[in-house]
Amino acid sequence: MKLTTFFTSVAAVTGILVGGMTTASAESTLEIVKKRDHLRCQIGKPSPGFYTIDAKGDWDGFYVANCQAIAAAIFGDKSKVKYQSVGSQVRFTALANGESDLLSQSATMTMSRDSQLGLDFLQTNFYDGQGFMVRKDSGITSALQLKGAKVCVKTGSTSELNLADFSRKHNLKISAVTFEDFNVRDETYVKGGCDALTNDKSSLAANSAAFPKPKDHLILPETLSKEPLGLVVRQGDSDWANLVRWSLNAMVNAEELGVNSQNVDEMRKSDNPSIRRLLGVEGNLHDGIGLDKDWAYNIIKQIGNYGENYERYLGNGEKALGITRAGTLNALWTNGGLLYSPPMR
Amino acid sequence: MAFVKKEITHARPAPLSERSVIGWMHKHLFSSFYNSILTIVTLYIIYITTKGLWVWGIADAVWIAESRRECFDISIDGACWAGVIAWMDNIFYGRYPKDELWRVNVGILLLIVWMLPLWLPRVKGKIFIAITLISFYPFLANYIFLGGESSFFSQFMVSAAIVSFVVIMLNAIIGVIQGQSISTFIATRLGSSLKSEKSQRNLNLALLIITFIIAFLWQQSWVLGEVPWTKWGGLFLTLVISGIGIATALPGGIILALGRRSKLPVIKVLSTTFIEVFRSVPLITVLFMATTMFPLFLPEGFVLNKLAQVIIAVCLFNAAYMAETVRGGLQTIPKGQYEGAHTIGLGYWGTMGLIVMPQALKNMIPNIVGNFISILKGTTLVSIIGLFDILGMLSSVSRDLSWIGLHKEPLLFGAMIFFILCALMSKYSRHLEAKLSTNRKT
Repeated sequence: MKLTTFFTSVAAVTGILVGGMTTASAESTLEIVKKRDHLRCQIGKPSPGFYTIDAKGDWDGFYVANCQAIAAAIFGDKSKVKYQSVGSQVRFTALANGESDLLSQSATMTMSRDSQLGLDFLQTNFYDGQGFMVRKDSGITSALQLKGAKVCVKTGSTSELNLADFSRKHNLKISAVTFEDFNVRDETYVKGGCDALTNDKSSLAANSAAFPKPKDHLILPETLSKEPLGLVVRQGDSDWANLVRWSLNAMVNAEELGVNSQNVDEMRKSDNPSIRRLLGVEGNLHDGIGLDKDWAYNIIKQIGNYGENYERYLGNGEKALGITRAGTLNALWTNGGLLYSPPMR
Repeated sequence: MAFVKKEITHARPAPLSERSVIGWMHKHLFSSFYNSILTIVTLYIIYITTKGLWVWGIADAVWIAESRRECFDISIDGACWAGVIAWMDNIFYGRYPKDELWRVNVGILLLIVWMLPLWLPRVKGKIFIAITLISFYPFLANYIFLGGESSFFSQFMVSAAIVSFVVIMLNAIIGVIQGQSISTFIATRLGSSLKSEKSQRNLNLALLIITFIIAFLWQQSWVLGEVPWTKWGGLFLTLVISGIGIATALPGGIILALGRRSKLPVIKVLSTTFIEVFRSVPLITVLFMATTMFPLFLPEGFVLNKLAQVIIAVCLFNAAYMAETVRGGLQTIPKGQYEGAHTIGLGYWGTMGLIVMPQALKNMIPNIVGNFISILKGTTLVSIIGLFDILGMLSSVSRDLSWIGLHKEPLLFGAMIFFILCALMSKYSRHLEAKLSTNRKT
């Protein structure tokens, strides 16, 4: 905890220092990135579904694909990215000091982080929330039945604080069993050391794949916290923030319009003015963010739309975590979710 | 007279209680009631631990599987070594391109072959081997590992490295066969035609220059694709960082220790401050400052090579620690040695280099090797600041979706690698001590 506090305060100081410096500099982030000919994208320590190293040694994952999308928009080539993988303690500092151009990590947007670190949190592209997992044979079906239960939780995380809040609010007298390492936490839970396990629901789903018998476990319906996760850039370069924001919006918009990596070439001939504007066939949306006409076409052609990306890494794809999207906050607004891209016109 | 025995009485074997297995056991394991209990309890603990490890790690273990799920299907309680095997390349080489792994192997093999003559007693010119190793090998290794475009300077150094390597190898072969150094060998072969030392030196120089030109032309034909350092990782990265740290710690430490004992106030204060500052800060803080805070003081857009920053930080940190070890060793040398050196007319460097240091360094071997081992182990801290050294790779196995949650087996494997490396180092240090020990043994 102390270490984390230290790093956060360092990040804050860094943000202020860099914020002062950026106003003085003449070169925009986009110019620097173009001159360097690759994007520096900061991702997290390996975590299934979000950023993983495969046995060949390549990076892959939901947030890695976000980096690739930005690279595809700028260079027309999704491979022009260099990844930096840092832990959550130093992630904000490593963005604020200019080591990376953007942070594509599961960083929860909070008011204090957005307003105090000299960083801009762009809009959310994954909604997570903390939940509980229990053994099916325990007969528990609601978190409110966890009275006096022992719950395994990772130490120093917001999950620990949320658990304490939840226990107090509902007078459940939950006793938290804390762990430094999530592998040990999961193993203790599986071996019966705790009655329940708490973490972000996406991670619960991911980690249960590691259990000897995943079907014996159940995620309870209650959600304890709001975890809006999105991309982060340095404050002080609004043009760069626009570029990143609209690149992600383009993916959501493409899904809404039914454009995907398979049909994008045909869709260029579409009569729908929204699709024509998105793919750069007409209009001049690209002028505002300083890219080529084909920027959004390249994203969709090389990475796919939001839905494809979700299914490939988090949904029901072959190498995905298996978190069903329908009915969650991560569905499109037209399907009752929260994903909503402002109009691109 | 019958009082004197005619034949020699042979020594009788020691009593059975001294030499039989049962006697040994009685003496060492069951000498008293409480010792017997202790022995039985200990044996029982050893038995259950070994049995558990055996059953989990070998008997019930899965060696061939495609994913952890498959491991579970085959054996739910056994170890899943298949994951470690699938990740073997990543653990050893990190994200280095799989088609280019031979470059890492060649680089490391070159280092071993280069150092080999140092241990052959008949080979002459060991100082030359050590000096070329420190001054040229890093450039050669750098080119082999990194590849890409190389500057004229680096090509020059690579050629110099090739020449030194060839000379050292020839020298070693001649040394083993003839017991001569290469220059004497050439001179004796040519016989009386070259009498004067000067012409012999000229000949050697000419040979060197010719080899250099050939090497320079040859290395220009090398085409090695660039492998940026961000792709380096695994045990390879650990060895690069700790290897450079180990190679620089001792010279750096000696300079700092001498500086701290110097009579010149400026040098003394500077050395003392440096040592105390670095020793009072944990390595992780030094690393964090070097990689994350240091860029703040640079102009914007000026991004340093993170690996270089880490290596510099590790070198400075360990030099400071080594300095105190060396200072401790210097203090074991009695004053009489200095006075003796002065009476035979040696100056400061003569005293230090010929009299004090050789004795002090010999006394320090256990501490120095202890430091080296802690450098090797301490390097794993770089995984916190985002370099994927061996520890970073080992803990990434549990986050690969195919092997998710697999954390004990890779870490155990890593522990074995570290144990082997550290045990080799400490074994070598004991060998060195025994070899260098004079009759001043206490």
